[in-house]
Amino acid sequence: MTADEKEEKTQEKWEVQLRKGTLELVILAALQHRTLYGLQLLKLLQSFKSAAITEGTLYPLLDRLKREGIVDAQWVQEGDVRPRKYYSLTATGHHKLADLITLWRQSVLDIEFLLAHPGPDVLPVQGE
Amino acid sequence: MEQHDVIHQYLKQLERYLARLDKTEAQEVLKEIESHIFDALEQQQHSGQVVDAKAILQGFGEPRQLALAYVAHITNGAPLPAGFKAIQKVKQGVTATLYYAMAAFGFSIAFALFFTAGAKVIMPDSVGTWSAGDGYSLAVGFFAAPYPADQELLGVWFIPIATFSALLVITLTRKVLRVLKDNM
Repeated sequence: MTADEKEEKTQEKWEVQLRKGTLELVILAALQHRTLYGLQLLKLLQSFKSAAITEGTLYPLLDRLKREGIVDAQWVQEGDVRPRKYYSLTATGHHKLADLITLWRQSVLDIEFLLAHPGPDVLPVQGE
Repeated sequence: MEQHDVIHQYLKQLERYLARLDKTEAQEVLKEIESHIFDALEQQQHSGQVVDAKAILQGFGEPRQLALAYVAHITNGAPLPAGFKAIQKVKQGVTATLYYAMAAFGFSIAFALFFTAGAKVIMPDSVGTWSAGDGYSLAVGFFAAPYPADQELLGVWFIPIATFSALLVITLTRKVLRVLKDNM
């Protein structure tokens, strides 16, 4: 394996980790004041580079979120088309989203702060 | 047609691997995935792409893996401490052994009963039920040197009785196996 290939692989791993870590937030954000069925949600997520997931990841995750009371699901039949299962956030889901947003924004702020303040200047350490 | 076969086969396999879920829960999962697949197929058709069920199924992954993700909350409701995994494996192994031993036991008895019923048709004098020792012991079977014919108890009735018993044993064995499988 060349150095370039190695670097590419590390980057890919990091992307996978990042996507995994933010997936729940991404799904809740996509369902914010919006009702979508599985295929719609999948296509929406796949249209973003950092949120492209597969069917095999999405559906079991929606199943878990439903069991945890974070999303609600409803079968809807429109006209002659086959019934589709629509997902929306519950009240618990909205609270959870608010919590995740706080964590996410803090994390972005912290990283951005570090990036904006390179060495050799000494940074004040919080709590000291 | 071929596309539909691929889909049905996938859903059938998935259904088998979802056996640990409640029947209604499993049906709900299957219904949703089926709805997704046919929706996605129609979208391919409308947008003039090549209709390819396999490509859609690929996104779902292997049926076994997909089912595992759905049953994960049952199999690891509470994460086990390290080291306990081995114990769980042994327990699973025992259940699997018990399952196959039960199947072998039940079905071989049923086979033996069918076999004697068939043998009675071909060699009526060598097969049957005899009482010996003044009714203290009973011999059922297939003998090279048969007991005196006048002591044979069932005569031609042996055939329906043995066949019925075989069917009963098969039914009971299947019932027991189903219970074992649910607890595997």
